[in-house]
Amino acid sequence: MNGDISQLLPLLGYMAFMIGISFYVRHQQQSGLMNNFVKTYFIGNRDLGGFVLAMTTVATYSSVSSFVGGPGVAWNVGFGWVYMAVVQVTAVFLVLGIFGKRVALLASKFNAVTVVDIIRHRYKSDLLAEISAFIIVLFFCATMVAQFVGGAKLFEAVTGYSYVTGLILFGAMVVVYTTIGGFRAVAITDTCCAVMMMIGIMMLVYFVLQAGGGYDSIVAHLETNRPDMLEPLSGGKMPYGLYLTQWILVGICTIALPQSVVRGLAFKNNKSLVRAMLIGTFAVGFMNIGVNLTGILGQGVMTGAPADYGGTDSIIPRIVVTAMPATLASIAIIGPLSASISTISSLLLVGSSAIIKDIYLYRQERKGNKPGDGKLRILSMLATAVIGAIVFFIAMTPPSLIWLINMFAFGGLETAFFWTLLLGLYWPRANKTGAMLSMVGGTVLYCLAQGMGFKIMGLHQITIGITVSLILFLIGSYVGKSEDKETLGDFFPE
Amino acid sequence: MSEKEKYLQIRREAMWTGITLLILIVFWVLAGFGLAGVDIKVFGLPLWAVAGTFGVWIFAMVLVKLLTTFVFKDIDLETDGTPSRKGGQP
Repeated sequence: MNGDISQLLPLLGYMAFMIGISFYVRHQQQSGLMNNFVKTYFIGNRDLGGFVLAMTTVATYSSVSSFVGGPGVAWNVGFGWVYMAVVQVTAVFLVLGIFGKRVALLASKFNAVTVVDIIRHRYKSDLLAEISAFIIVLFFCATMVAQFVGGAKLFEAVTGYSYVTGLILFGAMVVVYTTIGGFRAVAITDTCCAVMMMIGIMMLVYFVLQAGGGYDSIVAHLETNRPDMLEPLSGGKMPYGLYLTQWILVGICTIALPQSVVRGLAFKNNKSLVRAMLIGTFAVGFMNIGVNLTGILGQGVMTGAPADYGGTDSIIPRIVVTAMPATLASIAIIGPLSASISTISSLLLVGSSAIIKDIYLYRQERKGNKPGDGKLRILSMLATAVIGAIVFFIAMTPPSLIWLINMFAFGGLETAFFWTLLLGLYWPRANKTGAMLSMVGGTVLYCLAQGMGFKIMGLHQITIGITVSLILFLIGSYVGKSEDKETLGDFFPE
Repeated sequence: MSEKEKYLQIRREAMWTGITLLILIVFWVLAGFGLAGVDIKVFGLPLWAVAGTFGVWIFAMVLVKLLTTFVFKDIDLETDGTPSRKGGQP
């Protein structure tokens, strides 16, 4: 199968634009990069305004699966799925409202560049910091592979070009622009991505309505043939337990994801934070409702059983191909691919900051060495490029293990960091013993439960992970000794 | 604002953000499951399907607007206190 070269032009142009942005940003930030490379490269200069802060948070959080897998299920399940997806409107205002200013203030006190920096200062433990960095790198890599694979498969299905072509076209390019431009380039390209996602959704809704014979006729079809899609429990496909665990997994606990919390180190001022909370809530709602609604409206185009189309994952690519003219399809596909690349770029940078700042640089400084800025510049960019390259090559032929780790990733990160950050930053009694037990014990148990398919009352394993890590945290905090006065004075001023 | 006052204000904002979440959860339950049996149609759809999706979205934006207007205050995000000690320990 081979596509038409003109179909690739919009994507090519888009990726070239992204790389252009990264060079521009690099040039613009020259003085910052000269003075303090690590800080400027990994978190910018604390200059994100409200709109960009909102968009980069939303774009990082929305992955390719919210654009392909999710709406495919919505096509089969109906409005219950949208009702469940809408819980994600909490994600942006929660993380910025609870951690934004707290993290910003602490970062200015400790000159922190990463979330791990703050954990290190709060618990005074290098081991805990290195475990945090390890968990971040491991789970991030798995997530990135999954994003690459999801994006490339979609590309293949829509354009007719091969999986590898897609991977090189958008995958290699993300690694390039992230490596060159650092955090500020990621923030700006993320903003473009978020805008393209919304445009893509609007195009999809329009064309799927056209192809399905109009809104009224699609709704009439649902009423007659699929009344289950108009019920919250969807004829048993949407049990209450699923709603509950989704609230925890993609709503409340997302506040602890390091890639979101790190945004607290990057915003300009109070006003930009407040604006981002509002704009971000708008954008998350728009995307999640819009994209899943597209899936439901797809019933007007495809009325068979999921198996007729090769599973629910194939629904969205099919809708794009059947409902849209080919030239427009090549533009619309930029939306979901944007969801994929904007997640990859942020994870890539936080991952490489974990290796360079949290492990390498810290160890050097402890030994009394102070690596020069030139050396740090090369190492930081090298780390970003190397992680990107490794992930890229794994995505070429993804091993089955990677799916296992990716399945763990979201809940694993939440289990590891939720209590460590929330209690650490707001509960003076929280200490190293509690954090260590909670992070290691909770994450290991969560992964074991996932791996063995063990569930309690049929609920997703995040419920086990988050409960166990809380219990371990409390035990450790009451049994172990409190952090010393100086630390507590820094975090909870008297 | 002293360091302590800043901390207390930030903690207050965080707490109210949490309360906002709780209010939103209650609204979500009522707007979706609560209205599931009601026989009213909006845009040809059952009331819950609109209130539980678009309704929750709009309500969330209203709540965030109220939260940021009435609870959030401008504070100086640069600290004047220096950390008592650097880094971690083995």
